[in-house]
Amino acid sequence: MALEVETRQVENGVTVVAPTGRLDVAGAPALKDAISEAVKNGPPRVVIDMGGISFVDSTGLGSVISALKQVRGSQGELRLAAPNQQARVVLELTTLDRVFPYYATVEEALTGF
Amino acid sequence: MRAIRHNFEFRASFSDLDEGLGILHQSIERLRSALGRSADDRSLMLFETALGEIGGNVLTHGRPAGADRPVEYALRFEGGMVEASLTDSGQAAHEHLSREMPGHESERGRGLAIARSLLDELGYERDGDVNRWRLVKRL
Repeated sequence: MALEVETRQVENGVTVVAPTGRLDVAGAPALKDAISEAVKNGPPRVVIDMGGISFVDSTGLGSVISALKQVRGSQGELRLAAPNQQARVVLELTTLDRVFPYYATVEEALTGF
Repeated sequence: MRAIRHNFEFRASFSDLDEGLGILHQSIERLRSALGRSADDRSLMLFETALGEIGGNVLTHGRPAGADRPVEYALRFEGGMVEASLTDSGQAAHEHLSREMPGHESERGRGLAIARSLLDELGYERDGDVNRWRLVKRL
């Protein structure tokens, strides 16, 4: 299933980007496009809700790194929420969990953001 | 001589990126079902992760512009071992095989390092004008 990305603003001005499907070499461009949109309007605070992502590959992970660079380049902050077991394994294997501290739920990621 | 018994076998050929990746994941779902493994079976999940990396590489780098030869794929399970093979007609990949995990800033170049670390064996050979990949893991 190709990646579909839904973006919503929550009440404290944080943008929640919620992809659904496989975040892989086929799906990564859709996440990059969504993040590019999110950083257009001032310093962004972005949560990527990974709860709908069934599978992550290294190219998908690359799109998350790209997102981090874009958000930080705009003086913003990025948090990851609700990665499944497979995504957590890939983050830990690549030691990117040290770069992206992730939260169990979107609600936790939004707390104090 | 003992007859070789294949507990599971799946074959497919494909050319399109999204379709091909979908077929790879479907084949793992079928294997999961055939073996009665749960959705969160860790060793099968690790194998699927490695397969996604090599499959993604094959479907992008292994399909040069204008190529009409599809990627050939097979998945087998026998004697507790799962083995996937992928054949593509892209350029030789020897130089990429020993690539180490890049630093945190890099947006690419992790696929082979991830696959190597998750498999019991990652085989590669250049056979004429095709690449043959072999992924093996005990489940």
